[in-house]
Amino acid sequence: MLAKVERKNIQGNEACALGAIAAGCRFFAGYPITPSSEIAHTMSRELPGVGGTFIQMEDEIASMGAVIGASLGGVKAMTATSGPGFSLKQENLGYAAMVEAPCVIANVMRGGPSTGMPTRPGQGDIMQSRWGTHGDHPIIVLAPESVGEVYSETIRAFNLSEALRVPVVVLIDETIGHLLETVDLTPPDPASIIERKWATCDPKDYKPYEITKDRVPAMARPGDGYRAHTTGLTHDETGFPTQDTEKGKNAIGRLLDKLEYHKGKIESYEAIDCDDAETLIVTIGISARAAKRAIKSLRADGIKAGLFRPRTLWPFPEEAMRKAAGKAKTIIVPEMNAGQLIFEVERVIAGKCKTVGVNRYAGDIITPSEIEAAARKVTS
Amino acid sequence: MNMEPHISAEEFDIRQFMRLDLFPHFLCPGCGHGMALRALMWALWEQNISMDKLAVVCGIGCSGRLGAYIDSNTFHTTHGRPLAYATGLALARPDLHVVVITGDGDCLAIGGNHLIHACRRNVNMTCLMLNNEVYGMTGGQVSPTTSPTRYTTTTPYGNAEPVFDACKLAEAAGAGFVGREVTMQVPTLKDLIKQAFDYDGFSFVEIISDCTEIFGRKNQLGESAEMIMSQKASTRPDSYGTRVDEPFRPNSLPTGVLVKTDRLEYRAHQQSLNPKGQK
Amino acid sequence: MGKNIEIRLSGSGGQGLILAAGILSNAFIAQGRNVAQSQAYEPTSRGGLSRSDLVVSDGEADYPLAHELDYLVILHQVAVTASENMIRDDAIVLTDSKLVTEPPKGKFRLLQLPITETAIKLGNRRIANTIALAALSAIGEFAGREELEKIVTRRSPKPYIDLNRDAFNKGWEMVIQA
Repeated sequence: MLAKVERKNIQGNEACALGAIAAGCRFFAGYPITPSSEIAHTMSRELPGVGGTFIQMEDEIASMGAVIGASLGGVKAMTATSGPGFSLKQENLGYAAMVEAPCVIANVMRGGPSTGMPTRPGQGDIMQSRWGTHGDHPIIVLAPESVGEVYSETIRAFNLSEALRVPVVVLIDETIGHLLETVDLTPPDPASIIERKWATCDPKDYKPYEITKDRVPAMARPGDGYRAHTTGLTHDETGFPTQDTEKGKNAIGRLLDKLEYHKGKIESYEAIDCDDAETLIVTIGISARAAKRAIKSLRADGIKAGLFRPRTLWPFPEEAMRKAAGKAKTIIVPEMNAGQLIFEVERVIAGKCKTVGVNRYAGDIITPSEIEAAARKVTS
Repeated sequence: MNMEPHISAEEFDIRQFMRLDLFPHFLCPGCGHGMALRALMWALWEQNISMDKLAVVCGIGCSGRLGAYIDSNTFHTTHGRPLAYATGLALARPDLHVVVITGDGDCLAIGGNHLIHACRRNVNMTCLMLNNEVYGMTGGQVSPTTSPTRYTTTTPYGNAEPVFDACKLAEAAGAGFVGREVTMQVPTLKDLIKQAFDYDGFSFVEIISDCTEIFGRKNQLGESAEMIMSQKASTRPDSYGTRVDEPFRPNSLPTGVLVKTDRLEYRAHQQSLNPKGQK
Repeated sequence: MGKNIEIRLSGSGGQGLILAAGILSNAFIAQGRNVAQSQAYEPTSRGGLSRSDLVVSDGEADYPLAHELDYLVILHQVAVTASENMIRDDAIVLTDSKLVTEPPKGKFRLLQLPITETAIKLGNRRIANTIALAALSAIGEFAGREELEKIVTRRSPKPYIDLNRDAFNKGWEMVIQA
């Protein structure tokens, strides 16, 4: 079913589902929403064959709840949605971050706000994916740029989620979600698939949220005798709610520190022609593909252009971007929104060079020639 | 039901199943939820359900806090969503015995959509809805089950909305097992919960509880004892074949097993479908 | 690494263009090349503009969407405007001689072919896609005639295998004669 390696054309959304299954996902709960529905279609077709469960829930909120429920039961689980559904999932997403339930959420972005343009691409959830739920919370967001990368990044999403007990969002734009590209779906090396750290100690010594050196507590599998309590209330190491602000500070502090501590494991980016780049382009997804074409023709004309593409969008690989921008006089940020990623780029570069946005927010993609034109304008 | 209620009150010691280090518990004096918890634990004990194999999924509110006191695998989820979480948990781990504890606001207002679909879908679990007619934890606001004309912090001139009959709703949505009981008769409630456990599929039990401190006092309904006595007086035991009571107790709510029909459980149904067939 | 080839099959919804593009993809993939296939997802399954684009490359395409077309098929007038500003000067454009009354204008090579008429003559206007696919492949020299015919018959529903084979041959010869 999955093991057969074959070069063929598959769609980004299908690659997401197949990547999830290859990573060990055995539970999917979802709700129909364009342009992500093909992920659910593929899951409903493939999961029963590998002993997994697919369920279409009554709404987006229930889908997220069911995914967390399955994950707390010890099964790798995911859901898929688009902007409006992603908004609805946010409260439960925060719960997953708080109780450290591993889970993966694919968000295939459309044009917005509100219902927007469901069949047209957008990149409007760059900030929502980081800050969508309330309160300070850890979250990882991966932003693939091709069908092949949707497959490999979905696998990486599960691995990070399991290793760090943190929700991971795979942020795909409609163009990549619906694009078919030629891939050979090499199944991952089984040794590379990460399973969460299960509690194995004597149940009477078990602390569900123990503050350990690696910041990742071992999880108790229901039925193994640990009888743990899980709550979205601020809890101490025992897992029970606390009103003690000092204990609360330690617990939330560890949560936030967890990603900082494991930064090296999480960070992933692509830097093309950055060493001497005077014009640096920073972007993700289909806009990065356009930028790749643009820098080729800019370079052909002697313009020193480079691309920095954060494959891990959040936490943002800031040191790497600063390095990529070492020679930059201008940073161009193409994005299919009115300007979101540019805020992070500006924060990181802290006024050391000029920043220019190339923005489209009404369902159009950004073409290579638009990026090229923006670059020529700043270098002329 | 013809079964003789199993009175084993003397042998049953609830403390062995409680996280006693968390006591004193946070429920107000006179709150009916403690009796509901006792009935639940008693039923689990009589059914010999291991605390290791039990999963208790709660929502938010006073009812939602009960889970923490049970020495088992307990999940305090988000407001209105325990049935959604429990659906995922029960499907992922069919070896666990899943019990949901929810309240009238949690289950019928913010979580109403999940209730009707859980009834329709029929995933194996037992849902206990503790109905105390009010949002207690947030300060006594009107709920979907608050009686008309009652005063709450958001109905200062009296409630203008009619009451949701949760059992009728569950039945209409297709639940295969529906029951209702008051907290006054803990052994009877315990036996009802046991029957709910025995049902292979989604079972729904409404437990009429009382909020003395926040709701009773505001409406001058008296102390806890008076409140539960009046609850008892306004219900009739439908399932004991005493329908003759109805003319003598007009407008009373039926209690006992209200619905019991054979339905194929969701997971069993899904597994019976041929994955090699239509794709 | 050669230049990417950008191909667009366009017409009105229901003309089977996305299927034809998929068949053409198979042929390129069999040659070891990579294909990025995209289409608009507006709800236009019948009537209205429908298009499917292929970007053929050696290795993964830097940019996977068509924006400077090398080959363009237009089977219906509704599809003309969507493409007229994207056609390269050295492109080859095939249009349906009957259903495209005002073909795009430019320096490119334009061939107006009786695609739908031929399909009707063969007894089923729904095989216009196969005729167009064959004609385009013959002129673009995308794949060997036999190799492509095999893929067409393999992807064809059983009752239509003969019809599709006839359509394929008519399409192929149509261009050779043109």
